[in-house]
Amino acid sequence: MGVAIAAAPAPSLGLSAPRSPWALAAPLGLAYAAFFVAPLLMLIAVSFYADERMTRFGLEQWQRFLFDAFHWKVIADTLLLGLKAVAATVVLGFPLALVYRAASPAWQRVLLFIVVMPLLTSVVVRTFAWIVILGREGVVNQLVLGLGLAAEPLRLLQTELGLVISLTQIEMPLLLLPLLSVMSRIDPNLMDASASLGASPWRTLFRVILPLAAPGLAAGCLLVFASATTAFISQSVIGGGRLVYLPAMIWQQAMVAAHWPFAATIAIALLLSVSAVLAVIAHAGRVAGGRVHG
Amino acid sequence: MSLSLTRRALLAGAATLAAPGIARAQRGRAASVTAAIYPGAWEEAFRETVAPALKRAQNVELEMQPLFAVDQIAKFAASRGVPPFDCFVLDPGPRITGIERGMYERFDATRLANRTALPGLLADEWGVGCAAQVVGIAYNPKKVPKPSGYADLFKDPWVSRLGITGFGTTFGTVSLIEIAKVFGGSETNIEPALAELKKVLPRIAAVGAPAAMPGLFQQGQCDVMYTNTQTVTTLRDRGVDIEFAVPETGATAFFTTLHIAKGSENIDAAYKYIDTVVSKGVQEALQKPPYNFVPVNKEVALGAGLPMRSLDEMARFVTHDWAKINPLRGAWIERFNREMAK
Repeated sequence: MGVAIAAAPAPSLGLSAPRSPWALAAPLGLAYAAFFVAPLLMLIAVSFYADERMTRFGLEQWQRFLFDAFHWKVIADTLLLGLKAVAATVVLGFPLALVYRAASPAWQRVLLFIVVMPLLTSVVVRTFAWIVILGREGVVNQLVLGLGLAAEPLRLLQTELGLVISLTQIEMPLLLLPLLSVMSRIDPNLMDASASLGASPWRTLFRVILPLAAPGLAAGCLLVFASATTAFISQSVIGGGRLVYLPAMIWQQAMVAAHWPFAATIAIALLLSVSAVLAVIAHAGRVAGGRVHG
Repeated sequence: MSLSLTRRALLAGAATLAAPGIARAQRGRAASVTAAIYPGAWEEAFRETVAPALKRAQNVELEMQPLFAVDQIAKFAASRGVPPFDCFVLDPGPRITGIERGMYERFDATRLANRTALPGLLADEWGVGCAAQVVGIAYNPKKVPKPSGYADLFKDPWVSRLGITGFGTTFGTVSLIEIAKVFGGSETNIEPALAELKKVLPRIAAVGAPAAMPGLFQQGQCDVMYTNTQTVTTLRDRGVDIEFAVPETGATAFFTTLHIAKGSENIDAAYKYIDTVVSKGVQEALQKPPYNFVPVNKEVALGAGLPMRSLDEMARFVTHDWAKINPLRGAWIERFNREMAK
């Protein structure tokens, strides 16, 4: 090895002979192969062990998972949670992106800082902060009781509503960062052209801005969905034990029951189901983005 | 130039390859022990208290590998005869798994200088307890009266303020077993507990992940829960209104135990490590905040928050047979998910 290195000609410093662009991606590609693809293949292999001690192969774990209605309900709940988080972040985040587009560069910097700020705090801290906000004696309930809007404290923690509210805040930067990046590149002349051709602001929004922003919006939705469906900490701490999602099941089987084949089976089910929805979102983004040229 | 570079590269390569071997040989000479330890509070506590005490008293270096119980078992199983660490630290369930799979060296308690200070039930042929957990009911005395036992948790005024957790932890599992026993179940039949919980499910305040329970109690989301004295002491130190109640059926006790890994090359150092962990000085330090461990050394004065005045009283506490519980626990976890799911 040493001889080979010593005997090799000195590398050219010139940029005249570009190699295949794939060579540039090789370091990351190899890291992915070693630390993601290989473990993933091992995960798939583990799911095909029949027993807990991993002594023989068989389809038992897959049968156990697939032929049980409860597990399908958990898959549906997990995906639905992701879709609700996506819907909530889009409804609240898109108007902010419109404000951002129209703002002066100085205000854009301020808005961007506010958007990024939550990312500077650990997700654990953000999650526990939501216990303080949504709890029975939390900020929201004190306000509601103080204003006389309810006689009893509202039940927000350990409900899906509370979980979606907190995920909306926690995942919001993931939606906004790609969306703002695309929004800031939209040519303002297009809006003027649309208005001068007689389109109402709403028509301009739906026929011009939305299709142009579609790639960023789709990218943001992808990130929010993938993150919300796998948000183990938020799901278990804010959702509690009565809302069962796939990540908590994986943890229980892997770390408590020490049943790695079943944990691997659930992990692959999560991967496949989330990937399927991601593919649909990505496709929808492409279709909507293509409409601007139609 | 080229040749010298090559030789240097070869030497460097050889040194890199030999490094683990050299490090191991040096470790052997300087007396060191590699101990698996639970990540988080345990790791921090042992780094602060055990490591300096072991170096001072025995001149043994402590190297820690932060691993959950499941990971310790898995890592040992994957190592095929060359143990990745010298000592396990395990709760009762994984402890039994290790015994069944022949993962421990036989343990000789007479090699511990501190053995006379340990309660008799603490050491056996496989290892020794290094911390106790005492489990009962925690309640907020400003919100609810003191419950007399597990049955009270299903009645007013407690039921609407009750927070529960499943079979994910040892304390959760033993509490649910005790609840099952109150309603006619047993160590191997937890159905009555689930049936009773199901009846009151819409009324109870919280069904939480074990790690979330202290936070839920602190925030007033629930005012009564089954838990261990360590959680009660920690929350009280933070100014939370919380008291520990011994259920009328008795407090439950179990030990976290230390074991020497089969095939360990540092058995002497491992005994010294274990001896240091159970020594009076270390146990006193571990009992103090923020660790709040329940000590296992009889010479340590027990903290005011504990429901016993001497460790010998723990012989009266309820204990469980984890050889029977282990095979059922995976299914119980699933049952709990199903029964509690909305």
